[in-house]
Amino acid sequence: MSSDGIIGSSPNRVGGRDRVTGAQEYVADIHSVGELHAKLVKIDESRARIVSIDTTKAEQVPGVRLILTPDDLPKPMPRFGPQYQDRPVLAVGTVNYHGEPVAAVAADTKEAAEEAADLVHVEYEVLPEVHTIDAALDPDAPLVQDPSLRPGEPLAHTNIKTEINFGWGDVAAVEGDADYVIEREYEFPMITHFAIEPHGFIAEPVDDGLNVWSTIQHPFQLQKTLANLLDIPLSKMRVFAPDPGGGFGGKQHPKLEPLVCYMALKTGKPVRLIMSLEETFQAVRRPSTRVRVKMGLTNDGDMVFQDIATDYLIGAYVDIADRVAEKSSYLAAGPYRVPVVKIAGRTILSNTTPTTAFRGFGVPQITWARESTLDEAALDLGVDRFEIRRRNLPEKGFEFVPGDTPADGDWRQTADKAAELISWGTPLPEGRGRGIAFGIKSGPTTGLSYSTVRLLADGSAIIFCGTSDMGQGARTVFAQIVAQEMGIPIENVNVIMGDTATVPYDQQTSASRSTVLMGTSVYRACKDIHGKVRAMAARVHETDEAEIEVDGGVVRMAGEELAITDVVTAGLGALGGEVIGNGEMRKDKVPGHPLAGNAAFFEFNCTAIEAEVDDETGEIEIVKHVTVGDVGTALNPQQVQGQDDGAAIMGLGHSLMEGLILDEQGRTRNLGAIDYRIPTSKDLPTELISASIENHDGPGPYGVKGVSEGSLLCTAPAVGAAVRDATGLVIRDLPLTPQRVWEAMREQKT
Amino acid sequence: MSETVHIEATVNGRDRAFEVAANHTLLDVLRDQLGLTGTKECCVVGECGACTVVVDGIPMNSCLMLAVEIDGRDVTTVEGLAADGHLNALQQAFLDVSAPQCGFCIPGQLMSAHALLQRNADPTIDDVHEALGGNLCRCAGYLQITEAVMVAAEAGRQ
Amino acid sequence: MKEFSYERPESLEEALQVLGANGSEAEILAGGTDLVIAMRDRYAQPKVVVDIKHIAEFSPSLTWDGDTVTLSPTATMSEVVADEGINTHFPALAEAAVVVGSVQIRNRATLLGNICNGSPAADTAPPLLAYDATIVVAGSEGTRKIPIDDFIVGPGRTDLREGEIAIAIELAVPPRLVGSAYERMTRRRGTDLASVTLCATVDDAGVTQVAYGSVGPRAWLKTDETGVLADPAASSEAKAAVYEEMFVDASPSVRSMRASPDYRRAMLRVLGARAVGRATERLQKLQGVS
Repeated sequence: MSSDGIIGSSPNRVGGRDRVTGAQEYVADIHSVGELHAKLVKIDESRARIVSIDTTKAEQVPGVRLILTPDDLPKPMPRFGPQYQDRPVLAVGTVNYHGEPVAAVAADTKEAAEEAADLVHVEYEVLPEVHTIDAALDPDAPLVQDPSLRPGEPLAHTNIKTEINFGWGDVAAVEGDADYVIEREYEFPMITHFAIEPHGFIAEPVDDGLNVWSTIQHPFQLQKTLANLLDIPLSKMRVFAPDPGGGFGGKQHPKLEPLVCYMALKTGKPVRLIMSLEETFQAVRRPSTRVRVKMGLTNDGDMVFQDIATDYLIGAYVDIADRVAEKSSYLAAGPYRVPVVKIAGRTILSNTTPTTAFRGFGVPQITWARESTLDEAALDLGVDRFEIRRRNLPEKGFEFVPGDTPADGDWRQTADKAAELISWGTPLPEGRGRGIAFGIKSGPTTGLSYSTVRLLADGSAIIFCGTSDMGQGARTVFAQIVAQEMGIPIENVNVIMGDTATVPYDQQTSASRSTVLMGTSVYRACKDIHGKVRAMAARVHETDEAEIEVDGGVVRMAGEELAITDVVTAGLGALGGEVIGNGEMRKDKVPGHPLAGNAAFFEFNCTAIEAEVDDETGEIEIVKHVTVGDVGTALNPQQVQGQDDGAAIMGLGHSLMEGLILDEQGRTRNLGAIDYRIPTSKDLPTELISASIENHDGPGPYGVKGVSEGSLLCTAPAVGAAVRDATGLVIRDLPLTPQRVWEAMREQKT
Repeated sequence: MSETVHIEATVNGRDRAFEVAANHTLLDVLRDQLGLTGTKECCVVGECGACTVVVDGIPMNSCLMLAVEIDGRDVTTVEGLAADGHLNALQQAFLDVSAPQCGFCIPGQLMSAHALLQRNADPTIDDVHEALGGNLCRCAGYLQITEAVMVAAEAGRQ
Repeated sequence: MKEFSYERPESLEEALQVLGANGSEAEILAGGTDLVIAMRDRYAQPKVVVDIKHIAEFSPSLTWDGDTVTLSPTATMSEVVADEGINTHFPALAEAAVVVGSVQIRNRATLLGNICNGSPAADTAPPLLAYDATIVVAGSEGTRKIPIDDFIVGPGRTDLREGEIAIAIELAVPPRLVGSAYERMTRRRGTDLASVTLCATVDDAGVTQVAYGSVGPRAWLKTDETGVLADPAASSEAKAAVYEEMFVDASPSVRSMRASPDYRRAMLRVLGARAVGRATERLQKLQGVS
């Protein structure tokens, strides 16, 4: 292992130059000759039966080329989804959530498409809908999904999609052992991703295939979905995935690409659908949750059991919601040694925006509940709120989830660092309070990442891989790995991504996986090249291969060190050429494992907050915000800090101000930037410290673990705890808006 | 067809004369007509700042301006910051501190920062937060962006 | 955005002709920060858009004449914020103007537009009410001067009649010493639409005025003739009673996404006390009291 030089340094971001000149091309910046502009037709209801769609007037708008209605699509309506094939290309028969498209227009200009979409007359009959957990669970509730869509499912005649049960031990048997038992319920609102780039899609018919451009995070999954739906071989179904302008999970899975493909096939022309921010809000969101936490502890604060039940309010179609629920529930008991754990979860369908992956993948919701309940317990027991967490942390190597990946870091270092940085235990002025919380999330449980590295005759290199660089900086870290292993300047490394016809298969870009999984694949591709270089050196220098060592950019033989590039230049000879290395990183499914595989690594984070509360207005000022993650190795410290800062502020967003607001009919009221508030530069904490613990003990190259999600896992409970510390208020719903805090203060006074 | 208006404007230092539709915003024309796609479209209600350009030295949301309004005026977009392919101090600082993550908000952040530094060579961090307060970023949490502006200001004073 | 034709008059007379000829089918474009959104969302579908930024009479946008400042329709929030005289004599207006949107918005949004748009949440309405601003309106039959309290009517409505243009806001420095301050309540520190806006003035005769908005169909101006609010010796109960009376016109909507009626009413009292407090401090400074 070599961690000097380029590894552990922060070279300029690969792709950074284009990002500061405006040259970076995002989907909306790409045009095709003869393209048509698409506009969706929607109705302002969350559930309605479509009686008729009259396109007569719309067809008369000059420049209109197509008005696609369900009648123009195959019967039965094609459906798709990453877990269940339940999402129709267009609403069929009924609209099942606010903003579900019922038709779509393609026209020569944006204006014509808008005008025509406005003129499509949809006659409909409003149907009863459900948009809360309680309403959806009512035995008389209308069913969100027709049971025929759910063949063989035991709960098909309810709005419960899936029930989840995990755990170890028997709670009833140990309940008596606890000195103290607490039971609380916490809620978490609907949050939207709000990537600054709204979603966009382009489909272009070519010969006997299709070219598609999408803001997608998982181009190969989109390729497969479209190939299946349209019966096109993978080889002819080409997906271009330009670097997304922010993803955060919202761009993982196909949404409207199938619709745009049908429009392109119907017209024989390229069709582009660049969605508005409002439409993007109607395409993706984080599930809201209600979490009941029951916890038994000893008087000293040792955990005896945890019993956690979570209801996830998901949308009208499942998207990846069941997986979110399973994966987040699985670690619901947190990063703790808990002898007995019972976990239950339910995904509940509703007439709302389909929920999908969102940074943290369900963990922030559960962590808010668990850590806040633990805080309440500590206060009741008179145990220090930091100590109650620290004492229950497992030692490195301890299987805190029996049978799964053991604790993969010395987490007390992380905890102690956070406590130190927030000056835990020191006095505070009146009106101020501190809170601390721990969070943990599993990294990927399965994965398959191929890569190719071409070392060219001049000593420069090209990496081909299917990761999406949506800002996390994947291009840069892969280039760092190749620069290190080939012994070349990073400026001479090019990284090609985002084209399924050019780069080898990658399963997905999610779960903070890419540095570990694709990073390993790229590292292995470098090792493949090392092997070939060794053979080359042996041939050129007429030495036995066994006498030659290739590592860290150099060839060692006969007591001397040669640059890999020199050996390659000599070895390739007059014809030139290149040395090609292939890498593969496979993390197979584990039969019988509840999540289909154990965690590749854990993201462990401690967040500590110092806050001041205005006792008249309820406004919270974040005076200090500390986030510490166990990152293994900070392969690129600047980028690690960027991920941590960004996640921390995103965490403050859902803690303090964010939330989708639905009206009585389940329609989203705060669509768009005016009434959905995310933090601005003026909302930053007075001080934010993002710190890392590095013990080089991760599974990726150079001991790296995934980062990117850690810093928002436990922001909310840390903020909540600081508010409680400052005011004594216990607030069990988010966001902690001035009004909500004020209401709690008013209640406290009476 | 909508009324078109003949306008003359300086765009990124170059005098141009062209026809624009009356009902097209400056953002529409920059992106779709002049091919200057560095200016980004997100919220189109003046909240996110992704479409920020500098008009006669003043940062504005191009989504809330009609294109005809730039008649006779001087417009700078992100493409106008680098001279002869050389990054300016601000762009270099953004690159050096890794301020851009996904990069989608960055052209707007740069234009707001550019206008700030033009009128205030020695800003405080609060000045930067105020000047860039109308430019949303969802990736980076603003710290590295602020740092970049401070670094560029420092470089500019030397 | 629907199609429209674009007119750019260079004189007031020309502008009035265009407006007269097009009646309700014309929209006036100054800063455009509301109009462009309304046109894109198709709430506004004018046949003619009249850009008034090139009208000779409207330049310069901000003029001091003795103790009176006149702001033309092209005066932007940024210009208001930057003007020394306004900061000295009408600090609450500067405080309100500087929180309207982002820098980019303030560089475009105009003070007159903020009032003519008729939003109940207009930040500058309370200070303009408290400073007793006059709106000057021009029409084919000449100009008229309207006290702002009469000009503001309700949500999206003003006293402006079809074919007229508001051509100026006039503010006169009051003859008495006056301290003033502006306060607002928002969901975040960054740019936001306020759920409560409030301006207080306290003069050296002990008269306190409070103007407040965003809690009903329009902003209201109230005067405490009793002198209780300005009296440092008055009990908080006595003051509370005066505030209760002042805020009687607050009728915050239950439908608002920004804050509940209860919270808004409570914040009126909090912000009222804060603004009166800061206004009093400013008055004392003017009076040379330390």
